[in-house]
Amino acid sequence: MDSHRFDVVVVGAGTSGLTAAGAAARTNQKVALVATGPGGFVLGSGCLQAKEFTHARISPLMGEAIAFFQEMAQAAGGPLEGNISEMHYLPTILGDFQGVALAPRSLWNAEPRNGSRTAIIGIRELSCFDENFMAERMNEQARRLGFACTYTARQISLAHTFGGPVTTPRIATRFDNDPGFRSELVKALRLAASGFERAVVPGILGLHSSAQQLAQFDRELGCSLCELPTLPPSVSGLRLFNRLWSYLHEIGVELFQGFPVQKVQIHDGSCLELQVASPGHPMILRGECVVLAAGQDSAALLGTEFAGHDERMRPLTAGGSVMAWNLFVAESSPHDRADSSGDAMEILAGYRAGNLAAETRGHYATG
Amino acid sequence: MRLDEFAIDNCLKCSVCNAACPVYSAHAQYPGPKHLGPELERLRCEGVATDTAWLEYCLGCHRCDVACPHQVGVSEMIARAKAKHRKPLVRGLRDWWFARPGLLGRLTTILPALSNFVLSMAPARFLMSKLMQIAPQRVFPAYIRPDLRTPTIGAHKKERPRVLFFPGCFIRYNRPELGRKVIDLLDRNGFTTEVAATDCCGVPALANGDRTKALSLARDNVRTMANQVNAGMRVVTACSSCGYMLKTGFGGLLKDDAGLADVVQRIGSQTFDLAELLMEQSDAGTLNTEFQAANMHLAYHAPCHQKSQGIGRPWFHLLRQIPGVTVDDIDAGCCGMSGTFGFKQEKYELSMAIGRQLFDRINASQPEMVATECATCQMQIEQGTTYKAIHPAEIMLQAYDRQPL
Repeated sequence: MDSHRFDVVVVGAGTSGLTAAGAAARTNQKVALVATGPGGFVLGSGCLQAKEFTHARISPLMGEAIAFFQEMAQAAGGPLEGNISEMHYLPTILGDFQGVALAPRSLWNAEPRNGSRTAIIGIRELSCFDENFMAERMNEQARRLGFACTYTARQISLAHTFGGPVTTPRIATRFDNDPGFRSELVKALRLAASGFERAVVPGILGLHSSAQQLAQFDRELGCSLCELPTLPPSVSGLRLFNRLWSYLHEIGVELFQGFPVQKVQIHDGSCLELQVASPGHPMILRGECVVLAAGQDSAALLGTEFAGHDERMRPLTAGGSVMAWNLFVAESSPHDRADSSGDAMEILAGYRAGNLAAETRGHYATG
Repeated sequence: MRLDEFAIDNCLKCSVCNAACPVYSAHAQYPGPKHLGPELERLRCEGVATDTAWLEYCLGCHRCDVACPHQVGVSEMIARAKAKHRKPLVRGLRDWWFARPGLLGRLTTILPALSNFVLSMAPARFLMSKLMQIAPQRVFPAYIRPDLRTPTIGAHKKERPRVLFFPGCFIRYNRPELGRKVIDLLDRNGFTTEVAATDCCGVPALANGDRTKALSLARDNVRTMANQVNAGMRVVTACSSCGYMLKTGFGGLLKDDAGLADVVQRIGSQTFDLAELLMEQSDAGTLNTEFQAANMHLAYHAPCHQKSQGIGRPWFHLLRQIPGVTVDDIDAGCCGMSGTFGFKQEKYELSMAIGRQLFDRINASQPEMVATECATCQMQIEQGTTYKAIHPAEIMLQAYDRQPL
């Protein structure tokens, strides 16, 4: 029994790291994920912007990678609606509509529909969400985009529970932990949403809640509830992260959270071990294959020698030689990035790196 | 308490620390680690008076540090501010005692039977509640005359590696037989153990805002262990809070003490949690695995100070090696006890509210018992559920002999 030796070790738990770990784990290999924090999920809403897919020069693997990510999110209880080739409009807290391709279900519901009447419900004790401003702008913006739908501002108060000013993570954790609070919230929202078929609220519906739990909440409320992400931390982004993190745990990925990898030990063209900066003395993790999916930190870990990667994502020196045969850098190439951007490219990079690591490991094991 | 030399500018105010904070989730008014740490730190750096009683509510669980994507030492900022915080007389007096479990242990174990009798009496607890604001719902652990010594058996086996066992207050004054079990476990895995003549590690002193006491304890403990540690002996802890303190806290407290810097650094790098050491044996294929089959379902709770050591989950992997044992890793956050925190009358309800997620998950798992290496987590779990909670070392040792627990 070796608790620190794995077939594949993934560094980083942003979109690409989670995807890489999921992709490697589905091949029944022993996978570890080591990360300091939830990457971009702290700020991002969990949506994938649509503009990324309007360009033609996208890897043929993109569709497969996105489909895998959607499957993983579905299995994790945090499904993403939409598909990569279509753009949908979702509102923002500034009262604009942004074009997205994929979004967590609770955000997806806010899409404007002809003939719909939507309540924008603010919370008196929450300062970062102005329902009057939003409703006014959304009516205007919807008209411009040609949607015949109306938005009406409503407000509820949670003073009974919180006593004073409150933030979204505090409401969200209470939503997760306290069934009594959920009943109070349903009561308050039901009154405010009465007469509307949909209601939009700030992102408060739990940091861990599953799609099934949210659907149950909708049923109790008697109308479709939509969320909008507000100030950091992004409740919907963190929720997606937490669902995926728990899912990886359930499928047997060993998770190491809280401390950064301080050194990638490469010797003679092979990555031997990772040193994690744990208190006291470093923790050593060994992987037959290692995926670096730590954003900018990946390059920092590889040092000044690192000058890009080959088509199999292995790191290269300036002279063009492979630094380590069993190391994969989950990073999109600069020319891909110029053409597209953001989360979709991260999913693609993570998916490729996770698969390459698993394949290489499989080859190594049988060979 | 991680990279506390990091500038507060590393805090991007993303509030992930707040989302991870057990108190922030359970108390509607608690300002949260982001505010008490980096935000107020800016004002403290400017010399602006920012003292607030909320500082007393920080558990020191380090979940904010572990959650921070940018390695901001949030809890260390709060701990330093806590040390300058002024408390009203009664709370101050009570916390003075809570900061000194070593002294309390030495006094109560002069006549342990009398101490235990008095501490369990309803009128005494009523008085402690009225005069000292100690929660009457809490039961003090029984005190036992300390008799934990370096064993003479096995000492002759010169070729075996020797380790220095740092027992901590709970094992020394309340559960010396657990200490003997730890020594037995180490013996069965090829180690000869020496018991360190150390005092309290200082975590309770820091948690109660008594930095001066923590500093003097750290200094004494470092000097006491210096010879063995300089000779290359590894230090073993069976309490996750002691372990965390030895690995990082001594360095933080004594960083200006040039004379001790070298041995402090050695203690940090040579300290191993008991399970970490055994897991190392397991990874090397040298763990004694002559376990008897046990047929038992366990719930395992990782204490906060275990998580903040960044060593993975060695007990979970060790316990699963016992044939017939299934282990449910109850990953449901902090238990809410946090050492002396849960004993404080004004914090009792909050302490239980924090633990509710954990209690619910344990109940849903329906284990035979709960394994957790922190003594106060054990007390809290036994208070919040109907299950018995014990140190995983006891379960592992029992599996060698199949004796009833």
